[in-house]
Amino acid sequence: MTTANITGVTHRKVQVQSNFQRWAFLFMRVSGLALLILAVGHMMIQHVLNSSSNLSLQFVAAQWNLWGWKVFDMLLLFFALTHGMNGFRNVLEDYIHNRQTVKIINTVLVVFTIVTVLWAGYAIASFNSAPFLGN
Amino acid sequence: MSTLALTIRESIRYRGRSGHWSWVAHRISGLAILLFLTIHVWDTANAFFWPHIYAWTIDIFKWPPVAVGEIPLMAAVLYHAINGIRITILDFKPEWWKHQKLSAQISWGLFLLVFIPIGIFMFVTMIEHWQSMGDAWMNFPRLADYPPMN
Repeated sequence: MTTANITGVTHRKVQVQSNFQRWAFLFMRVSGLALLILAVGHMMIQHVLNSSSNLSLQFVAAQWNLWGWKVFDMLLLFFALTHGMNGFRNVLEDYIHNRQTVKIINTVLVVFTIVTVLWAGYAIASFNSAPFLGN
Repeated sequence: MSTLALTIRESIRYRGRSGHWSWVAHRISGLAILLFLTIHVWDTANAFFWPHIYAWTIDIFKWPPVAVGEIPLMAAVLYHAINGIRITILDFKPEWWKHQKLSAQISWGLFLLVFIPIGIFMFVTMIEHWQSMGDAWMNFPRLADYPPMN
């Protein structure tokens, strides 16, 4: 490829077929945007405003006593895991070219992601704070 | 596995300059975050399923050799977030591609600006916590000390 002069950008309407890769691309941008608030917010709140050295079951119970925090953490769980696993898939597909292997890996990643979200999501939703708050 | 060795070698050798280093840092930070995230999610679920296991693993996360990992984790999240904004903007603004190098430099600058004070603050807080623990600061938590709860 020669060094293209891209100062004058030509705009062309290209009919892009809607396919999985395109949705995955868009999903990474949208979930990334969500994670700017969810993940960066989580890091700032839990690791700077609160210190990890104060982390305890009681601390978790106090937070999960509020539905707002439960919803925040469930959204974070969903977006962080799907964004991360999709990124992992992108990385792996750069190095693994056997289509059959890629298919197997993708299936494993999808199953693992679903199981993890359901397992942890169920835990967050069902967590009862009362026994840990002494009331 | 030879592909992996080749990838690592060529990722260091390839002279793609600023954009290339951003790409390498984005990948490494993303993979590192995903590794911790997976452990962290399964661990946190224990707060519901087996609270005493959770109480134990929290203290393992606070054990100094593990606890210091919190600082590179913060760095990884901040860099990945800032560079991710850059990638997204450039994806939708092809006319800015000529500023590739400048945008990468801005990302690194912003990252350092945000991370350095936070990193120092976290490190100081951590040291103070260890000092408050006296001789026990390096003791590795034993599961036997965490009886099952109901």
